[in-house]
Amino acid sequence: MRPQLRDRLTLLFFLAPALAFVLVFIAFPIAFSGYLSLTKYNYAIDKAPTFIGLVGYFRTVVSDGFFRTALFNQLEFAVAYVIITFVVSLAVAIMINELRHGVHFLQAIFYLPMIVPLSLVGITFAWILDPNFGIFNTLLHALGLQTRPVDWFGDPTTAIFAIVAAQSWKMIGFALIIFIAGLQGISSELREAARIDGANFFQETTRVVLPLLRPYLLIGSIWILIDSLKVFDIPRVVTKGGPGVSTLTLYLYSWRLAFQRLEMGRASQVAYLTAAIILLLSWGLNRLFRPEVAQRA
Amino acid sequence: MQSSLLLSNRRRLRANPRWIIGIVVIVFAAIYVFPLLWDLATSLRPNDDIYRYPPTLVPGSFTLENYIYVLTQMQGFLRYLANSIVVTLATVLIVLISSAMGGYAFGMRRFRGQNVLFLAIILVLTIPYIMYLIPIYMMEDRLHLKDTWLGLVLPYVALNLPWGLLIMRGAFSTIPLDIRDAAVIDGCGEIRMWWRILVPIARPALAASTIITFVFAWQEFLFASTLMPSNNWQTLPVGIVWMRDELQTVVMGRIGAMIVISIIPVLVLFLALRDFFIKGLSEGMLKG
Repeated sequence: MRPQLRDRLTLLFFLAPALAFVLVFIAFPIAFSGYLSLTKYNYAIDKAPTFIGLVGYFRTVVSDGFFRTALFNQLEFAVAYVIITFVVSLAVAIMINELRHGVHFLQAIFYLPMIVPLSLVGITFAWILDPNFGIFNTLLHALGLQTRPVDWFGDPTTAIFAIVAAQSWKMIGFALIIFIAGLQGISSELREAARIDGANFFQETTRVVLPLLRPYLLIGSIWILIDSLKVFDIPRVVTKGGPGVSTLTLYLYSWRLAFQRLEMGRASQVAYLTAAIILLLSWGLNRLFRPEVAQRA
Repeated sequence: MQSSLLLSNRRRLRANPRWIIGIVVIVFAAIYVFPLLWDLATSLRPNDDIYRYPPTLVPGSFTLENYIYVLTQMQGFLRYLANSIVVTLATVLIVLISSAMGGYAFGMRRFRGQNVLFLAIILVLTIPYIMYLIPIYMMEDRLHLKDTWLGLVLPYVALNLPWGLLIMRGAFSTIPLDIRDAAVIDGCGEIRMWWRILVPIARPALAASTIITFVFAWQEFLFASTLMPSNNWQTLPVGIVWMRDELQTVVMGRIGAMIVISIIPVLVLFLALRDFFIKGLSEGMLKG
């Protein structure tokens, strides 16, 4: 019995630090904010949370205009962001995979933004897109594409897309890693067979490469989608959710409820609803891509 | 005869698009790297050259005065730099130790509930951070951990642990169990064997965890801006933003210099450990 006990204790010793961190800073917070989401709790005024059940969720979903705005902005952002990030990183991955020279150098350029903090990406793009001193408007004007300077982050119609551009710029590196890993796993024999059969580059890509890449396309799109719902830093830093509420996102709204208005219950509801949307969309994507994967395997 | 014909045929088909593709990629890469180069260019220009209307693409003159000013006159910036360095290094160190320990347990030991537990930890990667942030804020508020280095390091460790565990478990599970058994037969204690024999074998995985944790901790904004309300404790991604808002106009040269300086440490590490970073991330994302 004793050696067995000793064995148990050693195992516990190895697991203890990781488990302690996960329990205290992840498992407990998830459970506790779940509880908070069922309460009414203003951190500044109330002594303790008041349990109200699902009423809070009902109010948030049905009668909270800001939540609906945030949800709409979020979806608008997500659609543009997922499409742009997915298409650009896939195109870059396929093109780089064709090259023989300078591959490492070119990859490094696309990986580089991954190390730049998002808040500083925001500042950089705000500077480039500045209506008065920004270089982007000047270039557009010089190319004859623009007659009047545009305030990209300051105009309610363009602000959300300026954020899409900045955040995509950073995220593309991550998606690139996944796609390049997938492309490297495709055997060159299949592609050569297609080429010998007279397929051109475009046919070879769409008929041979992309179908084989499908599992990676799924994983890539799920990561991009999850990332798209986490948009916070740039709207917080650059647009402050504005102009008006045009760049108020779910994360930003939840954060404001919690740390500016100290409404911890309502903030937790928004956070939980965001998590639910992430799970739902990931599941949907899985369904969309999976059947064909199974067929092929 | 026939094979050489095939070969030349293949070459012709292949040679055609590759030139075009190469040019497209290079042009795109140039556009892509432009924002960073523009930060660099702005930081090296004097103010009257930066704020010229209309703005010019080619700098009129170069100067280092922005860097000298930022490094000698701005106490706040040096404080942010120190905060970032301390918080990031402490986070990396604790993540390495606890994921090397946990990774061993998950990768080389068998116990009940092992897979379920591991899956639960990995699932954490997909959950929105803001869900943890609210209770952690309340917790740290009660325990007076807000505005302390420790108050930021602890949640950072928790957020980065799943990556570390994923990578370390992968490394340990490829080590043959014979090595462990041989050491045990030789009378080597399990903990000593782990430290002396297994951890050195897993060194590439430790490098991958180091760079990934470093990059994430160095650029984190949401927790840093919430758990460090007073200016004195802010890290670079939060502090630089604060300075930009406070100082308002006509300081983009200095802001640019701050951005460049704040990227340098992580850039150096990235260039040194790039392959580990890419490999670790791709492993993590593909399994996750």
